[in-house]
Amino acid sequence: MSLFGTASGFGTGGTSMFGSTTTDNHNPMKDIEVTSSPDDSIGCLSFSPPTLPGNFLIAGSWANDVRCWEVQDSGQTIPKAQQMHTGPVLDVCWSDDGSKVFTASCDKTAKMWDLNSNQAIQIAQHDAPVKTIHWIKAPNYSCVMTGSWDKTLKFWDTRSSNPMMVLQLPERCYCADVVYPMAVVATAERGLIVYQLENQPSEFRRIESPLKHQHRCVAIFKDKQNKPTGFALGSIEGRVAIHYINPPNPAKDNFTFKCHRSNGTNTSAPQDIYAVNGIAFHPVHGTLATVGSDGRFSFWDKDARTKLKTSEQLDQPISACCFNHNGNIFAYSSSYDWSKGHEFYNPQKKNYIFLRNAAEELKPRNKK
Amino acid sequence: MGRKKKKQLKPWCWYCNRDFDDEKILIQHQKAKHFKCHICHKKLYTGLPPVPGAPGMPPGIPPLMPGVPPLMPGMPPVMPGMPPGLHHQRKYTQSFCGENIMMPMGGMMPPGPGIPPLMPGMPPGMPPPVPRPGIPPMTQAQAVSAPGILNRPPAPTATVPAPQPPVTKPLFPSAGQMGTPVTSSSTASSNSESLSASSKALFPSTAQAQAAVQGPVGTDFKPLNNTPATTTEPPKPTFPAYTQSTASTTSTTNSTAAKPVASITSKPATLTTTSATSKLIHPDEDISLEERRAQLPKYQRNLPRPGQAPIGNPPVGPIGGMMPPQPGIPQQQGMRPPMPPHGQYGGHHQGMPGYLPGAMPPYGQGPPMVPPYQGGPPRPPMGMRPPVMSQGGRY
Repeated sequence: MSLFGTASGFGTGGTSMFGSTTTDNHNPMKDIEVTSSPDDSIGCLSFSPPTLPGNFLIAGSWANDVRCWEVQDSGQTIPKAQQMHTGPVLDVCWSDDGSKVFTASCDKTAKMWDLNSNQAIQIAQHDAPVKTIHWIKAPNYSCVMTGSWDKTLKFWDTRSSNPMMVLQLPERCYCADVVYPMAVVATAERGLIVYQLENQPSEFRRIESPLKHQHRCVAIFKDKQNKPTGFALGSIEGRVAIHYINPPNPAKDNFTFKCHRSNGTNTSAPQDIYAVNGIAFHPVHGTLATVGSDGRFSFWDKDARTKLKTSEQLDQPISACCFNHNGNIFAYSSSYDWSKGHEFYNPQKKNYIFLRNAAEELKPRNKK
Repeated sequence: MGRKKKKQLKPWCWYCNRDFDDEKILIQHQKAKHFKCHICHKKLYTGLPPVPGAPGMPPGIPPLMPGVPPLMPGMPPVMPGMPPGLHHQRKYTQSFCGENIMMPMGGMMPPGPGIPPLMPGMPPGMPPPVPRPGIPPMTQAQAVSAPGILNRPPAPTATVPAPQPPVTKPLFPSAGQMGTPVTSSSTASSNSESLSASSKALFPSTAQAQAAVQGPVGTDFKPLNNTPATTTEPPKPTFPAYTQSTASTTSTTNSTAAKPVASITSKPATLTTTSATSKLIHPDEDISLEERRAQLPKYQRNLPRPGQAPIGNPPVGPIGGMMPPQPGIPQQQGMRPPMPPHGQYGGHHQGMPGYLPGAMPPYGQGPPMVPPYQGGPPRPPMGMRPPVMSQGGRY
């Protein structure tokens, strides 16, 4: 029996479940707070695909759990189910039909969670923590792609314990994204590889990184015809590179922009530069959101090359973000990301996931 | 003076490119807006004859005697009457024109007016460039070439422009930007990174797999490149593009896809996280935040023992069924000591409405649940947690 009920689109934000307190800065944007948030840092967020009626949010955390909520139009969030790994969960993704959730963990495995039966089985194994997991749906095959710190990219048919394919990476996988027929993987030591997935996954091109610092997050964007055409790559140095795969004029089309930095050069204090923890593209507008260690999120229009909005500063870094399938909801998590090391970790500090209505704020700027 | 003695050219601020009617106003403006020591936030002593009562001037300094140079480069930075602690000496090796130039920062500035200027053509009243010797007097033309030098990008394909002057305080908001155009154009041209569009042309479109990416842009995205004319970027939102971040490669190393910055080549390469103008909020080792965090014992307690059969057992029955057999293997005991919050789960769900009949209160019962893994037979290290339910078998 299906676990999930129906719900229509997300309307304008409802009331925050817990209400916002006056003095603390945990929710300066007054966004909706998801109930029963995980007990340790949230590492990944993912909304259900359009094939599923309603909106369901999955979050993986450093408390080894993966949680699922239903998000209703009113903004109410209802915890639905949970699964555990034996290590922190680093990435989650949905199957295209919305019936399964795939989870990747530090316990070197990846699992497939059947939401209808609420059972999870292991479907992948690596020699080191699995950092990324993505579902690939091709006309002639479907599989799960896992990227790990063991420097391999493996493709799994969920019915077999042996991978369909193993591709070697130059270094540990740090982040990846898949939009058929393209996949991008960014690794340690600023490695950057693009794969093409038609027929079977194969390496398409290794790219000289447009960034000078450690890669942290990547997201593919599409062109007007809805085909993947490039990606945005974020680093630990408060910078995002927009890179097209085959641009007419690379020198002009590709660029980088700075973000998630503190104080302008007007003040004489050294500027603090924060890592970009996540990038997500709005599924309808094509504009993008970035979230950083500085505790802010920003919306950008890459075609107009302008910033659309920057939020107030939260009291914790924002560790992950994602849009729902129709772009009405922007979810972001507020938890410590270890950017200041072990010393600043406070296990007592609450971790939050906020939901924000994203229909209006991410509209592109009028074309110049 | 130099040959560049201009007639009645209105003095302009070369930090922010504003015109001023009077040099006095110009100087005041510069003192107010640009001359701050980035370390101690105090105003820099500009070398101008100290005017008692001028903003930032410590009291008690006598006015300069005519004809007596207040300071010459190389002189000890201490002048009688100078407030202690006002100097932050820094030596900067500049790669400008291949010269090494040491300039005292903060505190002292080389001579002001009335003294044979360091550079020819120095506009009157202009305190010599602090961190960038040689720049102020540069004309536009020079400005363009300098960044060109700066960048020294042999970098054809390899590099990514992002050439920022290695030095601290950006002198020319425009300079940095102008720099990039030089680079980028050269990069673009020489950029023959034509990767064979290999067999599968992935995406429609033409050849030229250009890998090169263009230089940095201002925070608002406007590319700094390609339009030398536009010195635009009046720092749109917040950060002028040139501000340089961590040392990292910048111009010096550029080219090679070398490590971002291995200041020390130790096992985990370390990053250079602090430079004069900026500070990277990131631990020093060049490993990802997650890797660093995962090393903590706290997050490793539950990991399956090595030798743990990998997948081995495909889907098995409902997890619930599995639970019982688990012997109490407490290897991972104490896991999650700081787990008290688990209690929360139960707490919240008390009145949770909206559940499908038969559905379980979402997070299973209070104490930490752990679905040991579906799979197979008792996985020993399944840290025994109070054998609670385990989601499984719920629905």
